[in-house]
Amino acid sequence: MKNTVLISGSGGQGVVSAGIILAESVAESASGTCLPEYGPEQRGGAAKCSVVISDGEIISPLPGKYMNFIAMNEQSHKKYIKQIKDGGLRVFNSNRITGIPADDKTILVPADDIAAEAGNPKTANIAMLGAFIKATGIVSEDNFVKTLKKKFAGKSAEILDMNIFAFKKGLNL
Amino acid sequence: MSVFMKGNEAIAEAAVRAGCRFFAGYPITPQNEIPEYLSWRLPEAGGTFIQGESEVASINMVYGAAAMGVRAMTSSSGPGISLKSEGISYMSSTKLPALIVNISRGGPGLGSIQPAQSDYLQATKALGHGGFRMMAFAPASVQEAADLAYISFDYAERDRNPVLLIADGCLGAIMEKIELPPMKETDEEATKKWSLSRQPGEKRAARALTPIYPELLLENENKMRGVLTKQWEANDVMVEEFLLEDAEYVAVAYGIAARVVKEAVLALRAEGHKIGAIRPITLFPFPKNSLRNLDYGRVKGIIDIEMALPAQMRDDIELEVRGRAPVHEYGRSGGILLDDEGVYTAVRKIIENSQLSTLN
Repeated sequence: MKNTVLISGSGGQGVVSAGIILAESVAESASGTCLPEYGPEQRGGAAKCSVVISDGEIISPLPGKYMNFIAMNEQSHKKYIKQIKDGGLRVFNSNRITGIPADDKTILVPADDIAAEAGNPKTANIAMLGAFIKATGIVSEDNFVKTLKKKFAGKSAEILDMNIFAFKKGLNL
Repeated sequence: MSVFMKGNEAIAEAAVRAGCRFFAGYPITPQNEIPEYLSWRLPEAGGTFIQGESEVASINMVYGAAAMGVRAMTSSSGPGISLKSEGISYMSSTKLPALIVNISRGGPGLGSIQPAQSDYLQATKALGHGGFRMMAFAPASVQEAADLAYISFDYAERDRNPVLLIADGCLGAIMEKIELPPMKETDEEATKKWSLSRQPGEKRAARALTPIYPELLLENENKMRGVLTKQWEANDVMVEEFLLEDAEYVAVAYGIAARVVKEAVLALRAEGHKIGAIRPITLFPFPKNSLRNLDYGRVKGIIDIEMALPAQMRDDIELEVRGRAPVHEYGRSGGILLDDEGVYTAVRKIIENSQLSTLN
């Protein structure tokens, strides 16, 4: 089974980090690729990162249209929604994307509120991933936390704890 | 050791593990992770990293390091490779090995910073003036990028000629899980064959290095270049042939484009279309036999798919097909990526049109 995810947001929201952590945690037990796409934008521009996941070999990492969509702000939501297939899962940061009702395919995550509660605004991306992982079961909680530990190995224990807090909050919305 | 790595970083790490101990380069997107990585990794491995003041200075530093018997490399993208082409030609002229990496972007000119396969012709026909040729490796995955970077120094030293590794910016940026090759040291006994660095007490004759030759000597050197090219064609071609056994249509693509093509081939096979693919791994020497020896009683069309417009590999394909089947092309350019939907739709249309024209 192949699954594809487009993660978008504004530069600085941790879109690329989210893609890397998601793909790397999947790669613990299956195949995952992560393609960050940078334009000439600086902080604040629309950022995009695509993740392809498969239990077999990933032949093409460039699907063109994606099954699932994680959007962290309104601008990137508008920009990339046309690259999302019908029927996939959508996870939106409800602090920045408003006016869309939740349904069985649309999950609203107050990611900025969760990040504030975690004590670090940079953990909003991890809260989004928590909700996404809960809904898809695409990676085990253990493998995700293992990857978080690897990624934040050089940082303080406090930073890791904030990220794990945000992840669990997203997971248990 | 299994790691989750970006293509650019995997190339850099594999080069260090292959014994590369010198890098000089100048920044350009989309290859910047290579020098960034080597800026800390090479000193850690006992090597030297230099951010040159320009591409021209950088390639000449690589020229100097190679002349002293050090495994050396540089990397750039299309516009920077153009600037380095004089130095690359001099290195081939003076028979010095090195790895040159081109992580290519949209062209011509400054083009765009997004991925493209716009440098095939430069890579395979003339990386500089004077008619020298170089082996050109084109990986399609992060693992293959690391593996080819790792072995490229062996080819460069065997042939005493620079080697090119060419990948588009997408492969430079994408992250995949790979196994890294083991660490090895530069083979100092081997590098003494061309190194100018004679240590105190060493008996071997001093070697002069000249970029200018008397006519007859130069002609002789160039005859040997022809022999080398023939040897590459006979012994060193690397190619992946995918589902060709009963193929009526054959797609040809290299690098990341080939992965998108294989996905389309599988989707079209599932609909009953008999299609296969050829993926050149060495762009030079080009896998001529894979195309030359197809059964043209069965093959109804060849489809060249590249992230380049107009397609650049087409001439090499047509030389082998020799009019025995129509050659079609599909591509994107300017930094726009190929994708599964686009390639599937385009190839399906080419097949359907071809079948219609046969009926008529």
